Amino acid sequence: MENNSEEKNKEQITEITIVMPTQAYFMSGIRDFTLNLIKNMTDFSEQWAYRFQSIVDELCNNAIEHGSRQGESIKIIFQSIKSEYIQIIVEDSGTGPKQLKAEEIMKLVEERKDQKLLNGLIRGRGLPKIVAEWTDELEFSNLENGGVRVRVKKFLNDPIFQKNINLNNNPTHIILN
Amino acid sequence: MTDINITIEDLALNNGDKLVKLATFSGQLDETNVDEKAKLIYELIEQNPKSLNLLLNFENLEYMNSKAIGYLTDWYSKVSEGGGKLVVAAIKPNVFDILEVVGLTQLIEFFSTVDEAKLALAS
Repeated sequence: MENNSEEKNKEQITEITIVMPTQAYFMSGIRDFTLNLIKNMTDFSEQWAYRFQSIVDELCNNAIEHGSRQGESIKIIFQSIKSEYIQIIVEDSGTGPKQLKAEEIMKLVEERKDQKLLNGLIRGRGLPKIVAEWTDELEFSNLENGGVRVRVKKFLNDPIFQKNINLNNNPTHIILN
Repeated sequence: MTDINITIEDLALNNGDKLVKLATFSGQLDETNVDEKAKLIYELIEQNPKSLNLLLNFENLEYMNSKAIGYLTDWYSKVSEGGGKLVVAAIKPNVFDILEVVGLTQLIEFFSTVDEAKLALAS
């Protein structure tokens, strides 16, 4: 009985894997793909489709900048159950010039999460301010090849998903949580 | 490189009493172009170090990554330090959403249209 249930669940999972060269040039296409994937293959709203576009872009840019040198590749895995969640995994090759360990990245994210505006910094908002805020699970782990694997997951039943912005009301006076 | 176009023009408000620089963005600001394009705005700020009124028209800006947000924060700080004002007009909801999550909407003033922003800068 349990096996049947697990089997049924497995059937509902959509998984797509993309391996792309370590070049930011390809990210425009990955963003378009992400937007369409979320819109067409999950029950998340359009607002969340745009949010995932940013999440994937930030994760991949980090992998390209820190984790994989030119000529190598990064791997992006999209997994979703239409009405339940979307999970995204990004893996780098561990050959980047500024490679950090999973624990070091997590420490940086934790340190920056609670800082308000990160004034004076051009970089450093992507993981703590965008990815961490818009996902329910954020996990870094070290790979055997020396690379880093980052996994994020967002559940559809999170009440924050209901929150929509209305710019037309009064854009200069928006109540922030 | 992803497509992005930034045009800059002078606006004379209050019968010419007040000068405003209007920077109109069209396309996507991402890792492939943001460092290069940010220089345009830095040049503008350097040429007008005091009391610069800078209106950013984001009507056709489709995407901003976190580095672009970092630059926007820095432009705002530099313009404010010089006694000027930086405002944003006609931003798309998805771009506003990302500025909101990083807390920038608490700092920068946003207007629904370029005309509304002009009126506010003229006053």
